[in-house]
Amino acid sequence: MLAASAAALPALLATASCRSSDVFAGPDPLAGRPSLSHDVIMLEAVIAAEQAMIRLYRAAVDGSLQATGQAGTLTDLLAQHRQHLARLQARLVLPAGSVSASPSASPGAVPARVTMARLRAAEHASATGLLTRLVTVEPSLAQLFASIAASDATHVVALGGWG
Amino acid sequence: MAVGSVTAVQAVQALQAALVAEDAAIFGYGVAGAHLAGSRKSAAEQDLTGHNEARDTLTEMITAHGGSPAAGQALYQLPFEVHGAASAAKLAAYLEDGVTRAYLGIVAVSDQRLRTFGALAMQSSAGRAAFWRGTTQAFPGLDAPT
Repeated sequence: MLAASAAALPALLATASCRSSDVFAGPDPLAGRPSLSHDVIMLEAVIAAEQAMIRLYRAAVDGSLQATGQAGTLTDLLAQHRQHLARLQARLVLPAGSVSASPSASPGAVPARVTMARLRAAEHASATGLLTRLVTVEPSLAQLFASIAASDATHVVALGGWG
Repeated sequence: MAVGSVTAVQAVQALQAALVAEDAAIFGYGVAGAHLAGSRKSAAEQDLTGHNEARDTLTEMITAHGGSPAAGQALYQLPFEVHGAASAAKLAAYLEDGVTRAYLGIVAVSDQRLRTFGALAMQSSAGRAAFWRGTTQAFPGLDAPT
């Protein structure tokens, strides 16, 4: 059937009064990049935020907070953020040919001096931001966001000491 | 069954699971608190109060969604014997882990307000679990504590 159709193409083109090159002159609906789903866009945003958090923790571990007696806590929390990132990235499946919705993967500025207050604020902001994002994504992704938000919320307390 | 009905049923089921978890936590804190003293006992009493309030809230929510709140049990089987302060703290962390898992179920329902409610409750219970355990977890509610 396909062979018969191919053989009939010149005749069809002649009938339609156009040359074969005209067939490919218009817009090609197959050449466009696939659009990203809402969940993928949300996931990419959360991944970018997690990467920023890790940069912040690395700066804290490498910098002035190393000598505060909190180095062990910071290292533990950094490890958990790396676990968050790995779990998030494992969920990300980008269609072939798609372009990331968050090209801002370039490292953002990390303050030269990271304080405990700065880390607590970042953890709190992360937990709050995830709460906002989880209401619009599919259930299992919402649960992952909720779990990471709960972890971040415990980090806020851990950074202040267990009392 | 209509989509709305399915959604409502799922919501009630998730709320019921949280109610059962809260009821078990109330029972368990009664046991744990008896083995604690000082500030740790006060913390357990404060957590017990929180779980009682959460049970009342869930009861009202289930009723509002057209369900009948599950009756609590007089006794619950404990995961291990509690002999002193250390095992009491371990039990408290265990209870909070269970509560966190139950609220994670609410996060999976389609109602956005319920999702937020469940996620916020997870933050509270995960925080209490971290207090009793002395360490944080990467994935409260999702993964077994390490």
